[in-house]
Amino acid sequence: MANRVGASSWLRGTIVRKGGGSSIANSRTTTPQIQSTSTTIFGGGVKDPSGRTSEYYSADDQCPVCKSDRFLNPKLRLLVSACYHKMCESCIDRLFTLGPAPCPICNKTLRKLAFTPQTFEDLGVEKEVAVRRRIAKDFNKRQEDFPDIRSYNDYLEEVEEVTFNLINDIDIPETEARIAKYKQENIEVIRANHEREEQYAQYLKELEDAERQEREQRALELKRAEEEEREEREKGRQELIDKLETSTKDAAKLVARAKLEAQRRASSRTTSSVFVSSVKGRGRAAQAATVPDVPHVPLQDDWYAYEDKFTLRTNYDDPISEAVRRDREGIMRAGGYFVEQAWERALRSAVAGLEIAPLEGLHTTASSIPVLQHGDVPTSAT
Amino acid sequence: MDAVEKANADRQKRWAKDQKIGEGTYAVVYRGREVATGRKVAIKKIKVGQFKDGLDMSAIREVKYLREMKHQNVIELLDVFSSKTNLNLVLEFLDTDLEAVIKDRSLVFLPADIKAWIAMTFRGLEFCHRNWILHRDLKPNNLLISANGQLKLADFGLARDFADPGYKMTCQVITRWYRPVELLFGCRYYSTAVDIWSVGCIFAELMLRIPYLPGESDLDQIKTTFRALGTPTDEEWPGYTKLPDYVSVGQFPKTPLRDLFTAATPECLNLLSKCLIYDPKKRISAKDALYHPYFSAMPYPSHPSKLPKPAKKESNRPLEEVDGNVEFDGPGPAVRANPPNKLKRKLSDSELGGRPIARKLDFTAM
Repeated sequence: MANRVGASSWLRGTIVRKGGGSSIANSRTTTPQIQSTSTTIFGGGVKDPSGRTSEYYSADDQCPVCKSDRFLNPKLRLLVSACYHKMCESCIDRLFTLGPAPCPICNKTLRKLAFTPQTFEDLGVEKEVAVRRRIAKDFNKRQEDFPDIRSYNDYLEEVEEVTFNLINDIDIPETEARIAKYKQENIEVIRANHEREEQYAQYLKELEDAERQEREQRALELKRAEEEEREEREKGRQELIDKLETSTKDAAKLVARAKLEAQRRASSRTTSSVFVSSVKGRGRAAQAATVPDVPHVPLQDDWYAYEDKFTLRTNYDDPISEAVRRDREGIMRAGGYFVEQAWERALRSAVAGLEIAPLEGLHTTASSIPVLQHGDVPTSAT
Repeated sequence: MDAVEKANADRQKRWAKDQKIGEGTYAVVYRGREVATGRKVAIKKIKVGQFKDGLDMSAIREVKYLREMKHQNVIELLDVFSSKTNLNLVLEFLDTDLEAVIKDRSLVFLPADIKAWIAMTFRGLEFCHRNWILHRDLKPNNLLISANGQLKLADFGLARDFADPGYKMTCQVITRWYRPVELLFGCRYYSTAVDIWSVGCIFAELMLRIPYLPGESDLDQIKTTFRALGTPTDEEWPGYTKLPDYVSVGQFPKTPLRDLFTAATPECLNLLSKCLIYDPKKRISAKDALYHPYFSAMPYPSHPSKLPKPAKKESNRPLEEVDGNVEFDGPGPAVRANPPNKLKRKLSDSELGGRPIARKLDFTAM
């Protein structure tokens, strides 16, 4: 199972930079990295998990056959042939409408319907993905199908060799024969494994459904609990008012007792909810009861205590910032630059630290340094 | 050994380096610990020899600013020492980053969680701004999360102090998707508002779970932004057409944020829209944002310890203080093409011996 997860993530994390490397003013050596957006590319002409197919597209696309490019034809769309050569839709129309014809690049006979959209920038990858997909369909044995790890490794080695040969066009007829032979010999196992995989997919789907249902259920319960709580509170208040009206006891005492009761009810409710959530195995809700959220405190220190130590005037005689204020075009203003910030910075630096007591112990060291009086001669000099 | 060397050796002895976690163009990151206490740290070793002009600029910036800042929402630089010709930064060890949290599809965010993260981001940012430091590279990847859930601003490699009159600043900062329009138009005089825009984008990303403005090039970034928020008018943002690299990318209509963020509360959208105001002068400041009614409204922000975190087991990638341009060792998730002319598959004995089961690639699931 671990193998399966590893293999699918191998494709999922693809990051393809579109439009070639021509971003002029990229200040950093990094490109923004993100895993799943519309720009993410998935395997050769295949659908991504959300069911979309994304096609490779670049601003510098050019049809190798007719040399038309995106500048001449903004709607240019390049498709990939069975022999992994790119050409544009109009070339395909022109060459293959009248039936099978040779590829203008490698002379292999091609049909119009056998062209597929490109998903990867590198056609080598495109081919490898297609070959691997084809191979994986038949070579689907698992480790359990082998007596020992040695033979399983040999099998994987063989699969890899066949794949490698197909990808790099080495001994194609011989390799095809090998595949056909393997297929015939293992018909039973292949079918069984297919079924097993389908079952597993089914199982995953069921699991997902169950999880969703549970989530919905939980949301519903939460809503109900809230509703109940509100009703209870309402009832409690009504009771209290009634009592205050009818009873002859001290009003303050009655109120205090009602409060106590409400508190007890609330605490019993949270403990029961903790129990429920811990049974569900989700730590989050359980934690919610133990660590209370605290209201937002904008600033958690007293930096702005210096606010009353200075007043910022609207203008200063400041030769250095003259250029900024003369900014006729408004460029600095449009960019959000404030001269006032420079002044404020200077003022704040001046007042910061006022009223803070000197560090302990500083006094003694200061007094231990001999203070030279006017006319004294330093002792070290004598 | 002179006094300086001795002091350095003493410092070096306080920290022990363990295994390597990641490597970037200018630094290697190791997991480490404090010898005396066993406390986990991350040690960022800056490669010095490679650069003609001496130490890499971002290393200098990082040390310069982190050395002065101590706040619970800013990563702590614990120590700096040199070993042979390398410079080593000892940083607080942090488990994960906000990007990993956003990407982990198994996690469900409550509105209170988003509120807590944004509040912590603003708090850290307010601390930087009050100390006259611009971060200039805010993105989920640089918001690290500690074991107890505290979010911390990290990667001060592009930071600088601001408000010095008349000095030009570079506009080639901030990862493109989080870059405000004034920088895309080449503005050389800017201020704290650039960081606020980034926070706005992160805020939106937390709600959408995908990047809000993913432009494919700098020009496309302007278009993407205008498509999402409408082309600004001259009253809305006076003088922006005079910015050095201004280009006209056409008129786009304004669409209300409500159309995209259907589940957000009115306060939430109000704060988001104030972070994404085109005119930097009108954009909300970090301090004002912290006093915004969004944070005081119910629900309270989640307690940091309760915030969702990605599951531990999947973390085969390093999640510590590393730059975006790090290449991880070991088989990464990215698809790598076989070089077409590599004609013989190599399978060494050591490979067979080291790994008992060959990895099987499964393509049927697609």
